[in-house]
Amino acid sequence: QDVTLRLHQFLPPQANVPKLVLDVWADNVEEDSGGRIKVERYPSMQLGGKPPELMDQAIDGVADIVWTVVGYTPGRFPSTEVFELPFMMTNARAASRAYWEMFEKHMKDTEFKDVHILGTWVHGPGLIHANKEIRTPADMEGLKIRGGSRLANALLEKMGATPVGMPVPAVPEGLSKGVIDGTTIPWEVTAALKIPELVDNHTEFSGNALYVLTFVLAMNKDRYESLPDDLKKVIDDNSGLEFSVFAGGTQADSDGPAREAAAARGNNIVTLTEEETAEWRAVSQPIYDEWVAEMNERGIDGQALIDEARMLIDKYTE
Amino acid sequence: MHQAVHLLARTTAIIGGLVLVGLVILTTVSTAGREIGIGEVNGSYEILEAGVAFAIFSFFPICQLHGAHATVDIFTSQLPKRINRAIIAFWEVVLTAALILISWRLYEGMQRYIGNGETTFFLQFPVWWGYAFSFAACVVTCLVAVYCAVMRVRECLSGRALLPTA
Amino acid sequence: MSNLELGFLSFPILLLMVFLRAPIGLAMLLCGFAGWYFAMGGNPNVLLNKLKSETYTQFSSYSLSIIPMFLLMGQFATLSGMSSALFKAAESFLGHRRGGVAMASVGACAGFGAICGSSLATAATMSKVALPELRRYGYSGGFSTATLAAGGTLGILIPPSVILVIYAILTEQNIAKLFLAAFIPGIMAALGYMLTISIYVRLYPKSAGTRPAQPMSERWAALAGCWPVLLIFGLVVGGIYLGWFTPTEGSAIGAAGTGLVALLSGSLNWAVFRDSLFGTARTTAMIFFIVLGASFYNSFLALSGVPQFMADWVLTQGFSPWLVLSVILIFYLIFGCLMDSLSMILLTVPIFFPVISAMDFGMSPEHLAIWFGILVLIVVEVGLITPPVGMNLFIINAMDRETPMTETYKAVLFFVGSDIVRVIILVMFPAITLFLLPA
Ligand code: NA
Ligand code: NA
Repeated sequence: QDVTLRLHQFLPPQANVPKLVLDVWADNVEEDSGGRIKVERYPSMQLGGKPPELMDQAIDGVADIVWTVVGYTPGRFPSTEVFELPFMMTNARAASRAYWEMFEKHMKDTEFKDVHILGTWVHGPGLIHANKEIRTPADMEGLKIRGGSRLANALLEKMGATPVGMPVPAVPEGLSKGVIDGTTIPWEVTAALKIPELVDNHTEFSGNALYVLTFVLAMNKDRYESLPDDLKKVIDDNSGLEFSVFAGGTQADSDGPAREAAAARGNNIVTLTEEETAEWRAVSQPIYDEWVAEMNERGIDGQALIDEARMLIDKYTE
Repeated sequence: MHQAVHLLARTTAIIGGLVLVGLVILTTVSTAGREIGIGEVNGSYEILEAGVAFAIFSFFPICQLHGAHATVDIFTSQLPKRINRAIIAFWEVVLTAALILISWRLYEGMQRYIGNGETTFFLQFPVWWGYAFSFAACVVTCLVAVYCAVMRVRECLSGRALLPTA
Repeated sequence: MSNLELGFLSFPILLLMVFLRAPIGLAMLLCGFAGWYFAMGGNPNVLLNKLKSETYTQFSSYSLSIIPMFLLMGQFATLSGMSSALFKAAESFLGHRRGGVAMASVGACAGFGAICGSSLATAATMSKVALPELRRYGYSGGFSTATLAAGGTLGILIPPSVILVIYAILTEQNIAKLFLAAFIPGIMAALGYMLTISIYVRLYPKSAGTRPAQPMSERWAALAGCWPVLLIFGLVVGGIYLGWFTPTEGSAIGAAGTGLVALLSGSLNWAVFRDSLFGTARTTAMIFFIVLGASFYNSFLALSGVPQFMADWVLTQGFSPWLVLSVILIFYLIFGCLMDSLSMILLTVPIFFPVISAMDFGMSPEHLAIWFGILVLIVVEVGLITPPVGMNLFIINAMDRETPMTETYKAVLFFVGSDIVRVIILVMFPAITLFLLPA
């Protein structure tokens, strides 16, 4: 082959995203290039560093391509947080489509100017898994919960819960030993972490999701520019809007089997009605105001981002 | 000169050690607070991470001064003393060069985090603060390392022991 | 040259540098530098950029912060007189037997190992207390030093253990479970050493003197003096296992607890406190420099594809898993004669672990990882006392200049023999290691 690209990310190879999204992407690129591109896959941070450094590794060329959680580097890519606001997203396909559109319009040449972004997506609806039944924000009072993101932590605080910071792999141990009372993650991750065996209660929301995380698949800019035009086209054809929707959709599709497995165990899955969810949305409102204020400080029109994201997500939600 | 470098290395190690003791107390209090139900010290693990990095960096000068790095000398110990001194001096110079390289890159890393505004997850303090403290300790390490390298070379040339060996 | 070839070429170069007395961390760092440099086609930018965050990331690690804390705990434990209390208690029960003072030293090492995470610290500390006593009761030089060198390895076999922390991080295993699994093999080690002593004194009756027995009341009083050790060990290891706190929190609590005991015992003045910080500082910097070098070198090895290649190669050869395991353990025993345990673990586990975990030993992946970890821990610890390069041997030798190294070498082979018997038993019966673990 002519070109070897190193793809670095933090999960083990058999996890959903590496197996169902990244490998598929890499296989397609290899095939479409007629074998001229080889994508070497380095899971579990094998090339060194901690997950927050993945983005810099792509910028520096330590890896050619990285998959990372944007929220691992708080403060650097603030605009993407608009999708992480509580009760913003509806489903992963619509939100990922909106995310790519807004990325091209607002973030490509600003926050992400140092890398070449191949895909932008969000996971399926995040929900609450806890050792007691949660129906109202008041039920969260005093619980120690691992939050998934900066904004999820802010939301937990608003409800009187104590957000606990721990890496995802530490969650099962934290739950089994009572270091935390619950965690916020999407269904998709629960199977690998054995969450349904550790807690019996799961709380889903109607309409929009409690929270999500934003991801990017990012490539070293010089590496991309250095490719001959025909190989650039192979990368381009496999990246962008369609890939983002595929990635978000595929990741969210893994939610279903994981949810069924929890139900089959006889776990208590509470799906809150629209009215019940409204109470949660009311509690989360101050987060929006705080976020807009923060963005204004950075010279970003936060309200405009919120309005546009809402509009696009609604448009793409069937 | 000798006295000044010793004082510098020891003082830095003590400062690092006191930070470590501080982290021990912070972590104990935070854990106890959680267990008895008054809650953890918020974001204590972020302080721990930044603090322990500083402590470790400040432990390097005294390690350097005492030649405490792990080595295998079973083969070289068969060689004459003169050659051994030359070998020790050679690695000390290489080690010093590596430590200067590490410190320079740490400085560049700090510059990057000053530039990009990245903060920690919980306390949301700028990541570069941690780098800055660690870099300060690195500067001391480089000074001590250069001194040690010079002394090892002089030991090699003069054939007399000037520095302690572990 | 392909990256794979680069990876394989790096092994002899690394060994050459190490045997030419390069600091081990430096040798790994240089190989990592060179590897990344050549793998990137001679472009230094990637390497330089990687260095921007690599050191800080390695040092600002929540899990690795256990290491300086456990080291500090060991320092405080020495200061507060816990080491002499342990020895006194063990001696009062065992001292009057034939070889009894030596057995007591082993027992005290086991007790000290329960609050100290490092073998070197255990060997050094217990030597200070026990060597004068052994000599006073007419124990021969080589037998005394060998006993303490072997006893020192209990510092790491009995949890808490710095090496197990490193292994847990490298292989993404649960530290608490590894600590628990190390417990029975650690006790077996202590009993094995005592048995070795009783055989040794029968073979060489002149190597040990006798000591009068103490009344029971004094024995119980001496044992009661050990309560802080029991309390702290119970709190730290028990608390970590029961999930009251994380291993890092446990190490902080242990350090705080021993510090408090030292303070209350009145032995903690400024000079002593300062020296304990210096001791912690030197060892911590030494360990973390190796950790840094290993992380850089290991990221290059991953880049080169060597671990994957080795695992694939071993699998396609169709070797029996037991043969592969035996070869790996023998490799550790041989290299343990030359290198220190931490460097060996950091250097080899990323290569051997994928090989072992790809094989079928008839147990769950987690049990396999834990069992293999304990076996590796034991064989690298044997390395601490195998001549010619055994860190514990050097430490004790430095503390007892009168005994020639060759005498220590001779006597320590008995203890090495006991270690090898134990490894064979643990390989043949994995259930012993996994006994305490939940299914
Ligand atoms: Na121990
Ligand atoms: Na050895």
